[in-house]
Amino acid sequence: MRNRNAQLTIAVICMVLGIMLAIQFKTQENINDTLMPGRVEELSQQLLEVTKQRDSLSEEVQSLRDKLQNIRQDNQAMADIQDEMIKAHMAAGTIPVKGPGVILTLNDSTHSLQTGENPNYGIVHDYDLLTLVNEMRASGAEAIAINEERLTAVSEIRCAGTLILVNWVRIGPPYVIKAIGDPDMLTSGLNIRGGHLETLKILGVQTNLQKVDNMELPAYHGAMKFTHAVPVVTQANEAQ
Amino acid sequence: MWLVVVFCLLIGIIIGLQMPVLFPVLYAKYMSIAILAALDSVFGGIRAYMEDGFDSTIFVTGFVVNALLAAGMAYLGDRLGVDLYLAAVLVFGVRLFQNLAIIRRYLMKKY
Repeated sequence: MRNRNAQLTIAVICMVLGIMLAIQFKTQENINDTLMPGRVEELSQQLLEVTKQRDSLSEEVQSLRDKLQNIRQDNQAMADIQDEMIKAHMAAGTIPVKGPGVILTLNDSTHSLQTGENPNYGIVHDYDLLTLVNEMRASGAEAIAINEERLTAVSEIRCAGTLILVNWVRIGPPYVIKAIGDPDMLTSGLNIRGGHLETLKILGVQTNLQKVDNMELPAYHGAMKFTHAVPVVTQANEAQ
Repeated sequence: MWLVVVFCLLIGIIIGLQMPVLFPVLYAKYMSIAILAALDSVFGGIRAYMEDGFDSTIFVTGFVVNALLAAGMAYLGDRLGVDLYLAAVLVFGVRLFQNLAIIRRYLMKKY
């Protein structure tokens, strides 16, 4: 009797164990099949972002199509506005331009340091570039690019460790400054007595200034974003 | 006896596979520890049965309490940041193999 009782107990427990085992098998398989919750969250976040991006892009497409439609309705007023637009683009640096000018190449001094010498002297700094660019503008430069980074109305020239940031792009020596304008004016402006270029030469920086008949400057590749500034609409503007 | 054990286990697995129930994913880990403990209890029971020292009450309570305790310890370990479930795996794993070895010896003696 005791034996039968024992067998019954074992049988029942075995059945319970079997059920547990089976459910665990299924659960484990289910876990392996489905993605982890964290991954799901990440993916849905990505999906949301991409969807937003797509919506904004399609909006942009729509507005661009509208603009294109407007441009196609070609009349004199439109052509005038086109002219103005191109001028504004050139001033902003958002389209490539070409023309005569000068190419100024600057490189750090090859002179090996002696004890007691300031290592900063033979090196091209951000403020050197700034001063030279300023000089070029004063001499009538119409478009300037440093190492193929076009200078725009919002471009910065800033020291970033051993390199220099222009348009948030890191550039390093040799620095090639291309400026479109009257080559003679630019050359004489840069070579002015006591000017910055002369100072750099004295400090040992390698400089090379050459006139070019025709060269091309690239457009500014970044986005022009104005988050704070909004145009002020005046009576005169509206009349135009 | 063996027929009964295997037969009931099979029935249990079939029932379990048919049941539309799944353990929550979060607790699947604790469930696996509980199942390990239950397995150990069952083998312990079979061993006791062969040694003629079987007691239904001890067997059933051992089955339930060991499973719950193992799962509980694993849960506590997770809360504390200690891998306590490893201890449960080790203890029950060792006992499982011991029980299996003893059962094997009995069977060898018997036949």
